[in-house]
Parts: sequence; structure tokens; C-alpha cells
Amino acid sequence: MNLLWTILAPFAAALLVFLAPPRFAKWLALAACALAMAAAANACLVRLQDFDAALWSFDRNWIEAFGIRFHLEADGISLVLILLTGIVAVAGVLCSWNVEKRQRAFFAFYLVIIGASSGVFLSRDAFLLFAFYEMVIVPKYFLIAIWGSEDREYGAMKLTMYSIAGSALVLLGLAVAFGASGTGSFDLLDLASVQYPPALQTWLFPVMFLGFAVLAGMWPLHTWAPTGHVAAPTAASMLLAGIVMKLGAYGALRVAMPLFPEGFALWRGVIAGLALVGIVYAAFVALGRRDLKFVIGYSSVSHMGFVLLGLAMANLWGLRGAVLQMVSHGLIAGLLFAVVGRLLYDRTHNRDLDALSGFDLGRTLPGAAVVFTLACAASMGLPGFSGFAAELSVILGVWQSDPWLLAPLAAGILATGAFTLRALQRSFFLKPASDAPPPDALPPLTPAEIAGVLLLLAGTLAIGLYPGPWMALIDDGLGSPLFDALLGGPLP
Amino acid sequence: MTPLLTQLAPESALVLTALAAIGLGFKRRPENTSNSAPTLWLALCGIVAAGILLWWTGGENAGTPEAMVSTNALSRLFQGIVLALGFVGIAIPPAPGEVRHPGEFHALLLFALCGLLLVAGTSDVLMLFVALEMASLSLYLLAGFSRTAKASEAALKYFLFGAVSAAFFLFGLSLVYGFAGSTSLTVIGDQAAAGKLPLFAAAGLVMVLVGVGFKLAAAPFHFWAPDVYEGANATTVGMVSAATKAAALCALFKILVVGFGGVMGSSDWGAFQVGWAPMVAALAVVSMGVGNFLALAQKSVRRLLAYSAVANTGYLLVGFAGGADGALAALYYVVVYALGTVGAIAVVAAVERDRGSDAMDSFVGLWKRTPGQALALLVCLASLAGIPPVAGFFGKFAVFTAALLGSSGTAWLVAFAVAMSAMSLYYYLAVLKQVFVRTSTTDENLHAAPLPVSHRLAIALPAVALVLLGLFPSLLLQPIGEAVVQFLNGLS
Amino acid sequence: MLILFLLLFPLLGAALLGAWRGANPRVAGWMSVLWSAVPILALKAAALGYDPGVPLAQWHLAWMPMAGMDLRFEADGLSLVFLMLTAFVTPFALAVAARVGNGGRAFGALALILQAMLFGVFTARHFIPWFLCWELTLIPAWLLIRLWGGPGAPKAGARFFIVTLAGSIAMLIGFLAIQLVAGTMDFDALADMAKDGQLAEAFSESPGGSMALLWVAAGIFLGLAVKVPLVPLHAWLPGAYAEAPSPVTMLLTGLLSKMGVYGFLRIMLPVFPDFLHDRAPWLGGLALVTIVYGALAALAATDLKRILAYSSVNHLGYCMLALFTAAVPGAGESAISAAISGAVLQAFNHGVIASTLFAGVAFLEARSGGLRNLNDFGGIRSRTPVLCGLMGIALFASLGLPGLAGFPGEFLIFLGVFGIRPVFAAIAALGLLFTAVFVVRLVKQVFNGPLTPAHAAIRDLDNGERAILAPAVLVIIAIGVLPQIVLHWSNPWTVWITDFLQLIP
Repeated sequence: MNLLWTILAPFAAALLVFLAPPRFAKWLALAACALAMAAAANACLVRLQDFDAALWSFDRNWIEAFGIRFHLEADGISLVLILLTGIVAVAGVLCSWNVEKRQRAFFAFYLVIIGASSGVFLSRDAFLLFAFYEMVIVPKYFLIAIWGSEDREYGAMKLTMYSIAGSALVLLGLAVAFGASGTGSFDLLDLASVQYPPALQTWLFPVMFLGFAVLAGMWPLHTWAPTGHVAAPTAASMLLAGIVMKLGAYGALRVAMPLFPEGFALWRGVIAGLALVGIVYAAFVALGRRDLKFVIGYSSVSHMGFVLLGLAMANLWGLRGAVLQMVSHGLIAGLLFAVVGRLLYDRTHNRDLDALSGFDLGRTLPGAAVVFTLACAASMGLPGFSGFAAELSVILGVWQSDPWLLAPLAAGILATGAFTLRALQRSFFLKPASDAPPPDALPPLTPAEIAGVLLLLAGTLAIGLYPGPWMALIDDGLGSPLFDALLGGPLP
Repeated sequence: MTPLLTQLAPESALVLTALAAIGLGFKRRPENTSNSAPTLWLALCGIVAAGILLWWTGGENAGTPEAMVSTNALSRLFQGIVLALGFVGIAIPPAPGEVRHPGEFHALLLFALCGLLLVAGTSDVLMLFVALEMASLSLYLLAGFSRTAKASEAALKYFLFGAVSAAFFLFGLSLVYGFAGSTSLTVIGDQAAAGKLPLFAAAGLVMVLVGVGFKLAAAPFHFWAPDVYEGANATTVGMVSAATKAAALCALFKILVVGFGGVMGSSDWGAFQVGWAPMVAALAVVSMGVGNFLALAQKSVRRLLAYSAVANTGYLLVGFAGGADGALAALYYVVVYALGTVGAIAVVAAVERDRGSDAMDSFVGLWKRTPGQALALLVCLASLAGIPPVAGFFGKFAVFTAALLGSSGTAWLVAFAVAMSAMSLYYYLAVLKQVFVRTSTTDENLHAAPLPVSHRLAIALPAVALVLLGLFPSLLLQPIGEAVVQFLNGLS
Repeated sequence: MLILFLLLFPLLGAALLGAWRGANPRVAGWMSVLWSAVPILALKAAALGYDPGVPLAQWHLAWMPMAGMDLRFEADGLSLVFLMLTAFVTPFALAVAARVGNGGRAFGALALILQAMLFGVFTARHFIPWFLCWELTLIPAWLLIRLWGGPGAPKAGARFFIVTLAGSIAMLIGFLAIQLVAGTMDFDALADMAKDGQLAEAFSESPGGSMALLWVAAGIFLGLAVKVPLVPLHAWLPGAYAEAPSPVTMLLTGLLSKMGVYGFLRIMLPVFPDFLHDRAPWLGGLALVTIVYGALAALAATDLKRILAYSSVNHLGYCMLALFTAAVPGAGESAISAAISGAVLQAFNHGVIASTLFAGVAFLEARSGGLRNLNDFGGIRSRTPVLCGLMGIALFASLGLPGLAGFPGEFLIFLGVFGIRPVFAAIAALGLLFTAVFVVRLVKQVFNGPLTPAHAAIRDLDNGERAILAPAVLVIIAIGVLPQIVLHWSNPWTVWITDFLQLIP
């Protein structure tokens, strides 16, 4: 199957939903996302069988005057990330099965985000990548502003302004790099083949990296994440945490770091420091919050800190771990938001950790309790789930480069365990006061919800129990000459 | 036909159509005088005819570059663009009863368009001045045509500021003439390339810049813009914002790149050199700052668009700071910008027809009332904000990138522009928020009166063009690039 | 196959229980008992054909091939001891739970998951699968404490979780350093490296230097010691044991604490003999403190479950003492062998005895309406002779009365320790004295003396309850008489480790 479908199918479906009656919108969206997921999964399997085969690519002239090409290519990193996109997309549709309000528009915006995200992950032309990257911003705004919950307009606008500010930095970086490279091409390999003057790298790298890192939720520019998540409807939270935050990290890995390796070497200490602060800080903030979505929003910030930390380590394990953590966090965050937003909030209309005990959810919603327990275990980084394999790789990277960072990191992991445990027990396993009236019966889980949640759960377990193939794919991607300067030479 | 008549065939067609329109207006019965449709269609037919003639007679360069009217690829292309933009502007019909004498109204519009064609077609400063004034005088009249208090105020302001700037322009030209001994920009260019400008000639250049700055609504010469955009009828605003801007920018290109290319100077950070580049950079900074910050506070969409026009002038000028390459990108972006603004104005006019006001509140629920208009507005504003996949994204990207070609010294300017551009998303989204997010409680809002066909054209054409140009920027970029190269080659 | 069976069969049971909507809790409870007892048969069958030269069972799967990380499981004699214990205690605890009314679908499912993970811990030979199972015991254990525990359970459960997690992180970070330096996390491969000093050499050549090895070993030590627990790290234990419902406490003390002991035997001794070697006096001192502190705290406590919890601390202290003393430089072969055998046997015995005691407490609680303070009872022996008799056997076994299970284990430990460090043995004997005091006090306060009027109508064990306790008591007596039935499984390993420890310079 052609990987172009991962981009085309969602975009085409985004237009087609307006032609069909509203009630078909979700089916159409499901079909498109499933197609994208299947294409990605198939490509992953094909790649796994033969790593020596030529990479899938699609290369057409686009804007000749600026040397811009419509250049897509699927190496291992792209493949795992589009697979992640596909999985989260399908699960998101399944968890939006109950959307009644303006369904067609909802799924149209939703699908645009999916298509554009796949586009980012596949692009090999810096401009094309940036175009797809920007395309996500406005649909994201509308998804939250129209279908969100409390403070949705504020949350949506804040998120959008953070995103666009990040994009502005990236745009500046790309423009300066293009001018300075003198290659007349926006192809990433061409741009990265140039030795930029160190003085330029020194200031341009942080500009560009920061631009991407905003979307990756780097402390202290992370504050859009919790407010955005709280305001967003379930599917948007899933996309936001599951995919959109990855776009930023991916951009940093694919564009900012290979282009300016010397600038990166200069700043990587700062990045590592900020990432660590993010991991620890977010975990401690989450410990004190009552709104469950806020807690999970902060957990995303904390987890994305691992991605940034892995990137900052600039060694093979660090980068491996960073990419694996992107995938892992995508699945886990999607899962957490699916449970909290869809399974829990849509039934109880309550996310307050202090008030949830009144519902005695462990008994009234046992299925959700099981899933949330597993999701929390995954989020804590317990082995058997994807987070473990990823964090293990990052820690290996840290050991190799800056072992002394492990002490605060360990504190961060422990704090993550603590706040996750707190959220878990307060939400599902707190017994209601003895004099409280018996909780109302809640509607049972629907097949769509169960399917969506199981899909994500299967994903995180698949990585956690058998990370070998995923790592092989990531290694395949890291073997690209793009990363030679970062890794100090081609991979063996 | 004589060569001159061949060269001026499009202009002639416009003038003849204008006369016909006046005639048609005289023939109308008094009770029908407010029906503008016949003359409107007549005018549109005239523009189409002019366009056909332009295409027919084009292809060959005619007249030496020193001639008052010279035909070359660049002027042909921009005449075509101005005609197209004029077509869209004129296609916005005045609201019923707004215009008492449609024959004269459309005749004036055609005269203005004719002037703009000449602006785009000449390389002679005297002709440039005459043509600009021909357009401006018509526009002063048009701005006050509907005789409301606001329109009169707009017209008076427009006229007063315009007259002062015309005086500046003319006086500046006379000084330049004194320096070069010729009104031909090529001759001026040869003289200026020889060495430093004498002080009086430099003063002349400054004054010319002020004059063009006024036409372009560059801050601090923008004070007329908000009032004209708010008070004048929509057709005139469409004309002022789109066709005029494109023609004026074409003129600025010729003046700066052809006439004073030798005294560009440099606006590089820390390496300023006297010339027009620092001046243009200063104008750009002030325009972007003033435009964007004041736009944030607007409650009237027309005024918002006016400030957005000021801001966009700033972006255009940023392109000029990058020299000829940047100017090329600016020529591309001005078309994209003009399309976006005129499309937005057309939608605003439609909303005013329906709601009687251009206040933000009037846009509430537009998505429900007329999805088509809402979608067109989305496309236009997204383009202005620079969101892919619509054309404005690449337009801005091209301008910013081109400004940095060759030297990254202008990065400070681009950085400011990028920051301002990012901020602009806020106010464009504020409008779109009304359209898509907010819902009105009353049912009567659900229906909108059907629009005249021409109005629909004015709404649909720019939107379609923006999407097309967004997906395939080369459609326009390529011709502009070739035309500029041909034009500059023709000079040397 | 045996490995896969052990890992998957309980999980399958858990899944079935989870999927079986609307099951009668009693039926589900007894089903979980039967299901969790099946592995005993499988293990017994495997043990019958046990040949010390070849592993009982093995299975592996490449987990992260680029780092040579394998999910490698292998069961040998040492594993068999702990597997048997797991296979025995789980159905025992589930039966008690079903009997006292805690059982049900969720309880059974969680206990089965716990069982599967424990099987994993006791067979894993590579850090990754071992850690996987180690960590995954946390969630079911926490939920068991949390959902069926007393009013203090949320806090106790969270503390249990977080403290264990902290230890786990220390272990994880330590092992990852080993991975980077030694290129493997396979226990056997690491033991080989440790034997000829390659590991220390590799570390001294690494950027961190030899100090790194010390830190790594300390981290892993910490993670294991939390689980056992050794004394300054025991703070989570009394609360968790006391607040958890008694059947869960059976699992906690009978099985989860053995994970720590097993970790010391399987990882600490073979991989970091130098670490234990160099610090043998300190570590021995720590074990002594644990023994004495456990006994004294048990003396001071009045809650039956807390008494038994501290007595667990005390008993596992003997295991640790034997372990640490065995690593003393220059110890003789017979002494090492005795100490190690004693530690293994003591671990097994403690699992059985402590779970029997908590089962007795569970039955007692069920009769007293939840009361379980030392002072709430008195003289109930006259009303409940069978309960008191069975409990008495277990209590005296824990005291180390000859003829019962506790004796051979503690005897071997004292034998070994005395041969290496007589002073330690003497101090530990002091601890034994305190143990005797609190056991006797318990017997006196609860069973003997004047009958409290509140419990005048207390019922004795019925046949079902007797049937539940009987196998455990039989095992206690059987091991007391014939400790070889356990030791002959672990002997080959004991011989191996004895040789190994003697080779360490």
C-alpha cells in the first residue's frame, strides 16, 4: 500500500465528510484513519523484513523558484511515528463516537490534523515539513474552541498562540538557514550538508529548537499543555498529547539538531537542564492538582521531558529513547485521555479528584478502572509497558553522557509514580463516605470505546513486551546520514 | 493600429466601457437609478475585454525602456493582476440603495482601474505620478460616493492625506529630475548607480517614498486607512485595498530597484549603510508594529482589515530590505495579500447586507447562515494570517526567506516581522471565532438573504485562487520571476 | 514450556475471572483457589524428574536485540524452592480469603496476576524479565491492599508502592550502568564476569571508574533490601501488613518478601560478591540490627498483625545474616554451605509459617468482628482448641522448636554463622531469645488465661477452615522432620555458590 495514503486519505475524507449526511461522518473518519493506520503498519512490516531495500519516497518538483520539492520519504523513524499517528487517530475517532454537535466539521478538523501530522513525519523537505506543521494549528484551535469544555476559548487561544509563536521561531530559523546555506534548496539533507558558521549556529540553533520545543511542551513553555488539555474535547486531547506534542520533538530531531550540530553541542546542557526541570517540576505540580485532566496534562509535560532529555544526550541511546518515548507517550497519553475524557468525564461530568469518590467508580465502572489502572502503570514506566523500554533507553543515554543527571531524574521518575498513583487511587479507588447516597448507575462502556481503548493498550503492550522491532526501525531511521554529525559518524 | 494604440488597448477598453457606463446611467429611468446591476456587469465585461486585449497584445516588448509607456513582461503581468483584482473589487456590488448613480459609480471605478493599469505599465516617474493621481482622484470621489456621514469623513480624510502626499511625491520627483535630468527610471537608475546621491536627490527619494508609502498605507502614513476602510462603500474598499496596493507596489519596485538600485544601502544589523534599505526597513517595522498592535483592539472588522493592511504593507517592505530577490517575493506576496483582503471585504459586505453592521457580533453564526461565506472568510483570513495550505503561508515565507538571501544581517527585521505575523493570528482568529465558534441563540439568525451573482463571484474567486496558489505557488511565482528577470535584463 | 505455563496459566485464569461477568463471588473465589493450585501439580511433576545437572525449564525471547537484552527465563533447583512456595501460598491465601469473605472475581484475578509475576521473578535470569515481573507485582499488590484493606490502607498502600518504586529505580539505574559497561544484564553472564574479576575490571576502565561499581552495587542492594526489608528500610512494612486484609498479608509476607531474599541469592551473591565481601561486617551488623529490632518491636506491639509483621522482619533478618556472613572473606566451605542452605530453607519456612499465622489471625478476626489486639482476647483456647492448636504449632515453628519447620532452617543458619563469625551468632541468639518472649506472650495473652466474656461464644474452626489450615501445618511438620524435601532441590545450587564464593579472593 502506498504511504501517500497516510496523508491523502485523511485530507480526502476531510472534504468528503461534507458531502455525506452527518451521521456518516464518523464512519468516513474511521475508514480514513484505519486506512492510514493500515498503510503505516504495512509499511512498517515491509521495512522490518528488509532494511536494505530502498526507502519509500515520493519526490516531485513543487516551488522551483525556492528549490522547494514535495519530497516525502519513509525511514524507520517516520514509519513508527506515522504508525503512532494512525493508531491514535483510529482510537480518537472511536472515542469520539458520541459527538453529536456539528459532526461533519468536527471530523473534518480532526482529519486535517491527522493528515498534516503524517505529512510532518514523512516530509524530507524543510519547507514542506513546516507547511504541514503549521497546518495543524488552526484545526486544533477550532476543535478545542467549538467542542471543548470549560474555558475552551481561552485554552484554545492560548494553545494556538503558543503554537504560532513556536512556528514563528522555526520559520525564522528556516529562512536564515536557507539564506545562509546558499544551496538554493530546502531539502533537509542539502541544508544539513552545509557547515554553518559557528557564530550563526550559536544563536540560530536555540531559536529553532525553542520553536519546536514549545510544541513539545518544554518547561517553561509548557503551560499551554495543561490548560489546552483541560479545555479540549477528548479526541482533541488525545491528538494533542498523542501526536501534536510529538511534532515538536520530531521537528527538533529532524530539523533543528541535524542542521546545527555545533549549536546543539553548545546548548545541549541547557536543554538537558530544562528537560530535567520539566520532568521534576511537572510531576510535582501534578501531585497537587485536583482536576484529573490537569494532572494528566502535566504528566504529558513530564513525559515529554524524557524525550527532550533523550535528544539532549546526543548519543545513540538517547536518540533511540527519545523516539521510542515519543511513540510510547503518544499511546499512553492517548489512553489516559481516552479514559478520563471519554470513559469517565462523559459519564460523570466530573473530573475533580475530591468529588469522584462519590461515584465509587471502581465498582460502577469496573472496565474503566481496569483500563485506567493499566494506563497508569504504563505512565509510571512500569516494565511490560512501552514507557519502560523508552525510559530505559533514555537512562542508558544519560548514563553515557551525563551520569550525574540521574539523581534528579530518579527523583522525577519517583514523583511521577507518586502523582500517578495518587490520581489513580483518588479517581477510581476511593471508597465513598459511608453516609453518602449510593452512586447512580453509569452507562456501561460502549463497543466503540472499548475498541479504541484496547487498540491503544495493545500498542503500548506491544512495545513494552517486544520492543525489538520498534527499536530496529528507529535504528534504521537514525542510520540516515542526517544524523551522522550528531552521532559522530554513521551507525554500524 | 498604431503601436501606441496597441499598447494602450486595455486602458482604452476600460475608458470606453466607463463612458458606456455613464451613458447607460443617463438612459435609466429615475425609479431604477439605484439598481447597480446593469452597469456593474457592463464594467465587468469591460474588464474582461481589457484582459483579453492585454493577453492579445502581449508577448512582445514594445517601446524602449525610456519611453513613457513601455510594454514589457513585468508590466503586462501586473496589468493582468491589477485587472483581475479590479474585477473582484468591482464585482462586489454596492448595497441596495447605497449608490444613487451606478453609472457614474462604475465609470469612476473603471477610471481608477485604468489609472492603476498605467501605474503598473510605466517606467517613467512623471507618467507614474499622473497615473497614480488619475486613480487617486477617482478613489477620493468613490470613497464619499454613498454620502453618509462616515463616507464623507472617509473621503475627506483620504483626499487631504492624499493631496499632501501627492505634493510630496511630485516635489520629490522634481528633485530627482533635477538630479538625473530625466523622468525615466532607467536613466535615473544609471545616474544613481554611478555613485552617491547628492543631498537634494536623496531628499527627493525620501519624499517619493513618503508618497508611495501613503498609497500603500504604510505607517506612519496610514491614518486615512481605517476611516476609509470603515466609511467607504465596500466596492471602493475592495479597490483601495487590492488593486491599488498591487499597482503601488509594482511602482515601488520600479522606483527602488530600477531607479535607485544603486543606492540601496544596507539594513543589516550592526552594519547599516545609508540608502533606501534602512528607510524601508524602518517603515516596515513601524507599519508592522502599528498595524498589528492596533488591529488587536478593533471591534469593527473593516477597521481590523485596515490595520491588517497596514501590517501587511510592513511585511511587503521587509521583502524590499532583501534587495531584488526580496522584492520579487514581495511582488508575489502583494497579489496573495490583495486576494485575501478583497475576498474578506466581499464577505464583510455580504454580512453587512444581512446584518447591517460590520461589528464582530454580526459575524456570529455565519457558519450556520451561509457556510460558503464562512468558508471563504476562513480561507482569506487564514491566508492573511499565513496558515497553510492557503497561499498566504508561502507568500509570507517567501518574503521572509528572500529578505535573508545573501545575508543574514536582516535577520533582526525578519525576526520582528515573523513575531508580528505570529501575533496577527490572534485577531484573525478573533473574527473566525465569531464565525465558527460562537453560536447565536435566536433562530432568525439562521437565514441570510441570497446574494447577487457578482457578489458571489467576488467571494468565491479569491478563495479559490488562494487555495490554488497555496497548493501550487509556482503558478504565479514562476511568471513573476520570469517577468522580473526579463524586465531587468531588458534594462541592461 | 513449564516457564510459559507458569507465566501464562495464572494470567489466563485472571482473564477468565475478569471476563466472567455476574459470577457468584463464592464460586469465583473457589475457582481462583483451584486454578492457582494447579501449578503445584505441574511443579511437582517437573520436580520428580529433576536432574541437578540440567535446568528444569527454560525459555527466552529476544527483547531488544541491539542491546542483547533477552527475556530469558530458566528454572533451577533454587527457583524450584521459591516456585513451590508461591504455588503453595497463593491458593492457601485465596482459600482463606474465600472463607472469610474477601474473595471474589477481582480478588482472585489480582492474586493470580501476582502469582504469575512471582513465578516470573523466581525464574528470570536476565535483568529485564526479572525487573518486569518484579515491578508488575506492585500494581496487583497495591490494589489488593487498597481495595480490601482497613481504614489506613490508602496511606499504607501508597507508602508500600512508593518506597518499593524508589528501590526499583535505584536498581534499574544500577543495572543500566552495568549494561553499558559490561554489555549485558544477564545474571549468569554477569556472575561469570564477576568470578574472574572482569566486571570490576570493566568498571575500572569505564569513565566512572571503580567507584561507579560501588554505587551500582549499592543501588541494587538498596532496591532488594527495601523488599526484604532490612531495618532502616522497613518503614513501609508494619503499616502495609497491618492494614492489608489478612489473606493479602499472607501473600505479602509469604511471597513478596521472598522476592527480596531471592534477589539477594540470585543477584547480589553471584554478581557482587566483592561488594558483600568488602562490607561483610557492616552488612552483618545490619542484619543483626534487623533481627533484634524486629524482635523488640514485636514485643512492643499489641496489634496481632503488627506483632506478626515485626516477627517477619525478625525472621528474615536471620536469612540476611546467613547470606551476609557467607560472603565474609575466607569463610570455610562447610560453614558457607550451611549458612546458604539455612537461608534458603528459612525463606521457605518463613513463607509457610507466616502465612499460616496470618491465616489464623484471619479466622480469629472473622470471629471477633475485626478485633485483633492482644488485649482483646484471653483464654479462648478453651473455646477454640483446634484453632489454638494449629496456631500454636505455627507459632512454635516460628520460634524454632525442633521437629517443626523453623528449627532446621535456623539451626543451619546458626551453624554457618557460628563457623564464620561467632560473635554474630551470639548476638543473633539474643534475638532468638526476644523472639521466644513475644511468641510466649502472644500465646499467653490470647490463648491462655481467663476467658474474656466478649468471646465466650467464640466458635472453633469448622471443617472447611481446618481443611484450609491442615496442609500448611502438615508442611510445617514435614519440613521439621525431613528438611531434605526442600534442601535437595536447592543443594546443587548451594554447592555451586559455595564454590563460587570460595573462589573470590
